[in-house]
Amino acid sequence: MSEFDMAVIKPEMIKSYIWLQTADGSIQQVEQEVAMFCPMICHEIIQKGMGSSKTYAISLPQRVNPCMLSLILDYCRFHQVTGRSNKERKSFDEKFIRMDTKRLCELTSAADGLQLKPLVDLTSRALARIIEGKTPEEIREIFHLPDDLTEEEKLEPLKNSTDDPRIRLLNRLYARKRKELKEREHLKNVETEEERVDDRSVEDLLSFINGGNGDSKVLKTSKSKKKNRRRKEQQKNASVDESIESHGKDSNGLNFVCNGTGVDKLQPHPGETSTLPDVEDDTFPHKVEFDDGDIDDEIDPALREKIDREVEDFARRLNSDWPERMQEILSLGQERRPVNENGSLRRYTRPDPEWK
Amino acid sequence: MQRMACSFPDEVLEHVFSFVQCDNDRNAISTVCKSWYKIERWSRRRVFVGNCYAISPGMVIRRFPELRSIELKGKPHFADFNLVPDGWGGYVAPWISAMAAAYPWLEEIRLKRMVITDENLELIAKSFKNFKVLVLSSCEGFSTEGLAAVAANCRNLRELDLRESEVEDLSGHWLSHFPDDYTSLVSLNIACLGCEVSFSALERLVGRCPNLRTLRLNRAVPLDKLANLLRRAPQLVELGTGAYSSELRPDVFSNLSGAFSGCKELKSLSGFWDVVPGYLPAVYPICCRLTTLNLSYATIQSPDLIKLVGQCQNLQRLWVLDYIEDAGLDAVAASCKGLRELRVFPSDPFGPEPNVLLTEQGLVSVSEGCPKLQSVLYFCRQMSNAALMTIARNRPNMTRFRLCIIEPGTPDYLTLQPLDVGFGAIVEHCKDLQRLSLSGLLTDRVFEYIGTYAKKLEMLSVAFAGESDLGLHHVLSGCENLRKLEIRDCPFGDKALLANAAKLETMRSLWMSSCSVTFGACKLLGQKMPRLNVEVIDERGPPDSRPERCPIEKLYIYRTVAGPRFDMPGFVWTIDEDSAMRLS
Repeated sequence: MSEFDMAVIKPEMIKSYIWLQTADGSIQQVEQEVAMFCPMICHEIIQKGMGSSKTYAISLPQRVNPCMLSLILDYCRFHQVTGRSNKERKSFDEKFIRMDTKRLCELTSAADGLQLKPLVDLTSRALARIIEGKTPEEIREIFHLPDDLTEEEKLEPLKNSTDDPRIRLLNRLYARKRKELKEREHLKNVETEEERVDDRSVEDLLSFINGGNGDSKVLKTSKSKKKNRRRKEQQKNASVDESIESHGKDSNGLNFVCNGTGVDKLQPHPGETSTLPDVEDDTFPHKVEFDDGDIDDEIDPALREKIDREVEDFARRLNSDWPERMQEILSLGQERRPVNENGSLRRYTRPDPEWK
Repeated sequence: MQRMACSFPDEVLEHVFSFVQCDNDRNAISTVCKSWYKIERWSRRRVFVGNCYAISPGMVIRRFPELRSIELKGKPHFADFNLVPDGWGGYVAPWISAMAAAYPWLEEIRLKRMVITDENLELIAKSFKNFKVLVLSSCEGFSTEGLAAVAANCRNLRELDLRESEVEDLSGHWLSHFPDDYTSLVSLNIACLGCEVSFSALERLVGRCPNLRTLRLNRAVPLDKLANLLRRAPQLVELGTGAYSSELRPDVFSNLSGAFSGCKELKSLSGFWDVVPGYLPAVYPICCRLTTLNLSYATIQSPDLIKLVGQCQNLQRLWVLDYIEDAGLDAVAASCKGLRELRVFPSDPFGPEPNVLLTEQGLVSVSEGCPKLQSVLYFCRQMSNAALMTIARNRPNMTRFRLCIIEPGTPDYLTLQPLDVGFGAIVEHCKDLQRLSLSGLLTDRVFEYIGTYAKKLEMLSVAFAGESDLGLHHVLSGCENLRKLEIRDCPFGDKALLANAAKLETMRSLWMSSCSVTFGACKLLGQKMPRLNVEVIDERGPPDSRPERCPIEKLYIYRTVAGPRFDMPGFVWTIDEDSAMRLS
């Protein structure tokens, strides 16, 4: 009988099988053309003559367990058939990689072990898509990775602003401040004369910088610093420009809390020799409230004292200015100062060629 | 398996990372855990440094030993408006010397607003054997001699792009330094060069580089020679013409028209200096394929512009002078349904009276007619809150909105109110807004809106606006994603700055000029915030020679891990921790 007749009557007699053994000891038979799709198996067959019988089963790398092997063989079984269109292959691939992340990782590892590059690419791309757009925290959670980088090693802690506990605290503070500002808006509409103006924030400024005593909540009523602003808002006709042109600390806005200055220094990453001029051997401190004044610990005490004195001086000046400034502002009142000086338009002396 | 990523060999993880290219994602990967940090840093091939003083070259090199591509930015954006005095800084020299030693396989250098000398260019040409891409955007400090060195030595050069740089034109012969067997040019942009380049050398170069896709010529290339160039490079995708003027002659016209028709891949046009309208129809055959059209040098009037633009149905990006007028923008709104970006530049910004019929209406039209419009730069002389609100409602997909009302402090021309609510509507409706420039009469109100709504805002430009520190405080405390803030001529002083000092470390930079910030506040910031460089730029002399409450001229604050810089000129002061005023 011709080979062809044989094939029609008993196709399985023509097909060869390869024996594969996984690390757990189990051995299985796989169609040769499917198994040969994996370069590693191919190599074992051709170069070493392995796989033709149970005793000479090809030992697969440890990361190829039976489950993964089965998946990989499905992949090979599909793709080793010639004549499939690109569209078909792509469609198969898209369905094929739909699995949970853990399996995807195992599969990537296994495919790499068998040197099956197209599958490694496919799974790697899928993993990349999972990683994209995620925060480091999220990535750690998905892949069960340890958070073993020290703050110093995270070269750009400020980028991941939600990570840094100081920034979290800051945001909370901002939120609180915003809320207060909103409340003040309401109050403004109710009160006509005096207002709880935030004198205390200058104290706060002092206390934060000095490593303060906690009592920053004392409210002092004083002459309304926002009178001018309120008046402006009540005016319908905004052509009366009360913008304060003069220099100096005559801003009539709200005083704010100085939100901790985060004096901690950034440590260089471990691979680098310390050549930064201001490097100190510091661990990342104080994930606590701003009020506890530990923030200034790294500064040499004599210097700190000096700075504190300057700050106090400065804050006092800022604060004492207010009564006189208020008079100035009130008396300036309706006077409109020209806002622009000689150079009217100075933007874009030439068209901006930015192509981004 | 609890720690599954550990079962990966490093090469596999590296392979996964190779499919993650976006900078933000790479940054995220690098701070996941120790092993990922290590793998990521060894496999990183490309780095973007938004402020060249934020980090030292040595630090970059130590962390990323295998870079192939680097992008650096130097001077702050307001340098474009001559607000940064000459000699401020942004020198690339230390970077080039460090990289010459560390990265022999470096392929790409992209610089923006930096100072690069001929020596630096020569070092690049000598040091990097596989050098491929040089992009110098708004740079200065070099001449055509440096370019000659690059041309002569960089055998694998693909891109030489000098966009808007200031080049000392010593000779047009630098182009001839490309060797005769050099054929790998893909992109050449010499539009900013003043003098004539050797045309025959140019022709030969263009003719022997089959992969040339981008060719942006300078003004000195005459129109009657353009056809020859085009015929040698019919595969061009992007073309910048030279001067678009010549005696009107039918043979020149038909030659040009034929040459344009032969460029089946042409998608982007620019150049068009000195336009003779009679020659515009030469490009009509290719208009339907155009996706980018830069007419910002083209002094053509509205009717011609309408005819041109009316044929560009696939236009995505249009840069044009305000000669286009409202009528022209109506035409754009009607024909260019795929428009994503519009920039309208002023033809006569310093003139006291409007010289063209361009009002807010043009922008409103385009916002109505072009559903994909997301990026706008618009110069005009009048605006209303109503128009801004309409634009905001029409285009909630806006991501970049830069409005420049030419006269500072201009109110809503209909109601004479400030434009607070108009801009407020923009930030409220356009939730993905990344970049915003304000103009017109504005009170602290607008900043309250911005602080409340503009949560994705990354860059804000403010001039002649606001009334008090409250305005600045709203922005600094409210805009969570703010990276760059530039302010000029606003009544912002110390309080908001000091109160939000920590915010400054989360941003790339803050620029304040002609505001009310005192030297005392700067000192305080400089002393208390070692991770910030607080630069006081004052050409009147040392700041401590004036009373402390005297406002400083200019302030540039940026975060850095490199400490204070040592290349500052005499008019820049920083204060560091030992509270001594440092000059350099």
